[in-house]
Amino acid sequence: MSNKFIGKSVKRVEDKRFITGKGRYTDDIVLPGMTYAYILRSPYAHARIRSIDYSAAEAMQGVVTIMTGEEVGHYGVPCGWQVNFKNGDIMKEPPHPLLVKDKVRHVGDAVAMVVAETRELAQDAAEAIIIDYEVLPAITDASKAVLPGAPLVHDDVPNNICFDWEIGNPKAEVDEAMASAHHVTSLDFVNQRLSPNAMEPRSYIGQYDNVYDKYTLYTSTQNPHLIRLLMCAFVLGLPEHKVRVVGPDVGGGFGSKIYHYTEEALVTLASKKIGRPVKWTETRSEAFQTDAHGRDHVTHAEMGFDDQGNIVGLRIKTFANLGAYLSTFGTAVPTYLHGTLLQGLYTTPKIHLDMTCVFTHTTAVDAYRGAGRPEATFLLERLVDLAALEMGVDPAELRLKNFIPAFDGVTQPGYQTNVALQYDSGNYHSVLERGLEMLGYENFRKEQAEAAKTNKILGVGFSTYIEACGIAPSAVVGSLGARAGLYEVGQVRVQPTGKISVFTGAHSHGQGHETTFAQVVADRLGIPMEDVDIIHGDSDTVAFGMGTYGSRSLAVGGSAIVKSLDKIIEKGAKIAAHKLECSADDIEFKDGKFTVKGTDKSLSFGDIALTAYVPHVYPANLEPGLDFSSFYDPTNFTYPFGCHIAVVEIDKETGFTRVKRFIAVDDVGNVINPMIVDGQIHGGLAQGIGQALFEGVEFDENGQITNGSYMDYTMPRADDLPMFELDRQVTPCPHNPLGVKGAGEAGCIGSTPAVVNAVIDALWSAGHKVKDVRMPMTPERVWKAMQPA
Amino acid sequence: MELNGSYILPASTQKIWEMLMNPDTLAKVTPGISRLELESENVYKAIAEVKIGPVSGKFEGKAEVLHPVVAQSFTLNVHQNSKIGNVSAHIKMHLKAVSEHETELSFAGKAHMSGLLARTGNRVMSGVANTLTKQFFQNFEDELAAKVEV
Repeated sequence: MSNKFIGKSVKRVEDKRFITGKGRYTDDIVLPGMTYAYILRSPYAHARIRSIDYSAAEAMQGVVTIMTGEEVGHYGVPCGWQVNFKNGDIMKEPPHPLLVKDKVRHVGDAVAMVVAETRELAQDAAEAIIIDYEVLPAITDASKAVLPGAPLVHDDVPNNICFDWEIGNPKAEVDEAMASAHHVTSLDFVNQRLSPNAMEPRSYIGQYDNVYDKYTLYTSTQNPHLIRLLMCAFVLGLPEHKVRVVGPDVGGGFGSKIYHYTEEALVTLASKKIGRPVKWTETRSEAFQTDAHGRDHVTHAEMGFDDQGNIVGLRIKTFANLGAYLSTFGTAVPTYLHGTLLQGLYTTPKIHLDMTCVFTHTTAVDAYRGAGRPEATFLLERLVDLAALEMGVDPAELRLKNFIPAFDGVTQPGYQTNVALQYDSGNYHSVLERGLEMLGYENFRKEQAEAAKTNKILGVGFSTYIEACGIAPSAVVGSLGARAGLYEVGQVRVQPTGKISVFTGAHSHGQGHETTFAQVVADRLGIPMEDVDIIHGDSDTVAFGMGTYGSRSLAVGGSAIVKSLDKIIEKGAKIAAHKLECSADDIEFKDGKFTVKGTDKSLSFGDIALTAYVPHVYPANLEPGLDFSSFYDPTNFTYPFGCHIAVVEIDKETGFTRVKRFIAVDDVGNVINPMIVDGQIHGGLAQGIGQALFEGVEFDENGQITNGSYMDYTMPRADDLPMFELDRQVTPCPHNPLGVKGAGEAGCIGSTPAVVNAVIDALWSAGHKVKDVRMPMTPERVWKAMQPA
Repeated sequence: MELNGSYILPASTQKIWEMLMNPDTLAKVTPGISRLELESENVYKAIAEVKIGPVSGKFEGKAEVLHPVVAQSFTLNVHQNSKIGNVSAHIKMHLKAVSEHETELSFAGKAHMSGLLARTGNRVMSGVANTLTKQFFQNFEDELAAKVEV
């Protein structure tokens, strides 16, 4: 192994095609004889379909076929994670049909699909379909949907409750700790619903080949193999070996492209029906209505402290909105990806989460960058900062006092939390201390006191986070209800000339795998990066895979590749020993050469590769070839952590909030490419700050999305953000071969509460002692918080 | 969306009532209405073309007059469909004599929008409604003046 590339900011090899507009996305693919689908969607959040008349549409020129729920409504997409009620009953799992035939349950619910010669003809025909709806009352707020008399989303799900759930210490013990607390900080808040807004809208092409009786699905997805597995085994019942799923270049996912969407199965079915390829690409407007949303929690949380400022208990009641149907991981996000993170970085001895997951007449909710972990961090960090204000102590000091002491997970054991997880390694004090140093904390408090006398007040907000990444150890998640193991597959094929093709089940949609993975392979084999090609996203070339989400690609996918590399080197040593006439134990592999230890006798990696494929001088007990595939199943999650600090300036006259500074000190374990990690952190920070100040899906009383366009939904822009001040600490992951923890979600997890805390700090500094400003903290909301009650 | 307002028109309550119940006049004064036909008693078929904020569309549907009390009050139920979404409104109208030649026409109700209309236009919707209302009363006044001249 050499160290030429690992740890270096190598420029991303994939960017040449992306920044020159040559990326090949699903919508760029045009197949011979291709047709175009348009999906007619419900304009109502809740309505009974009395009748559908598509006779006029069917007769229109260019229309190839029209499908409705009558034809395909018996097919439905599944949920990938089973969670049980507190009493052990299995969660309510109503069907999620490809097209509805009886009742629409959210704005954008799919009612009919028109396939025509062009997209425009399909849309025109869809508009000629006459549907008679009986509009029914709708409910969008999860905390109100459980009340008696609320409209039911599914007639057979009482009170709209999918399941209730709890985690932590016994409730009575937590109640007792809270009752004995010297101070209890309580907070009611909404972690609002977000629209994922990937730059590339979802796009799918179904192609049925009647010569080979084979289906191909091109799909803008984060995990092609999982889509193939779900579509074949649980939706359409197609033979998996006759189905190829390709996820070509994909323009962003943020979680929203993990799931198996109904349209993937629809274009596949339609293609078989008409014998021609069928393409469907959503509009931005459809993306707002149908790409799974994120967050949407309504929470009451309490944190108790003793008279020394030590946290003694944490008690939470949350209603999580699942939307109208269960998305693939919808049930796991508010439970196993959220409740298990409530220890945070603190030694909190007693924790209890009471969670109710609820159906409403809204778009399905699922993982969105961070998935459950941002909600946990938000809750903890808001409570700690607010408690510091209420108790008149310093928020940084309060954290340092309650942090778990450092442990490396090698000479010291991992940290067992009260909420199931065991942290692998951590050093929490030092990230906060480094953040304070970068902030110039003492100086800031002086500036703040000065500013309090002016019209532009200042505030500082802290947030320290931990996340569970590298999803996920199969045995652990299997016992928690995951319906699949979450290992990864990595194949390394050495070509006869020594060039390398790497096949990975991880899928890149912005993460830079083609660069990072190549850096690892090139260094391990001591060869140039150009000799390595990273192949992903095609179920016909990549043996298997579980895809990319939960900051898992390098920790799990990278580790699978490393396992295969080890096998390559081990076999290479045997070939070298045979050619150099020594024992394999005497061969060492370094800087791309197999050398007899203590001699200058060596063979290059290329020599060994050629020998493996042109085996004229070859050991008899070895098979020819140099090609290994490995499954890597992690033994634990990985636990990145960090400290984020926001400094905000609020205009007292307008309530306009500007993020003046943003400091992030993250520990994501070992870093392969610092520039890519910085880029990931930057993107995450923008999204997290976006939630705090700008973003949020709004519904009216009838369940209509009232800001479903870029004219109305505010995205963070470059000029809304300061120049980020980043630093890093490295505590290697003790249980994977690369020592990496994952960086994709970190920025999004830590940043949101830092900004909200900063606003609250600024308001308190000016004498406005409010507990919360609801997100997004628009100028209007901040201004109102400064007016006399 | 809440719809509320009142306006003083320079004519007697009887006169205003007659004009309100006349589809031809209504079609003329209501902004965007291109056709209004009496379908059955108190039920009109309406076609309108309206631009609301960033979206515009052709609306087709029904308007229904409920509980008419001559020269005093009625309720207007409107349901309009379009490719860009549907609108339903339920509005209570009151006529009150201010003087012999002046009538206060007040209205109160709610409008519900769906589809693209709700998603993209909502921010500007109440502004649009105010503009359309103003235009309606302005047209109404113009129509009154024209009738007096004839």
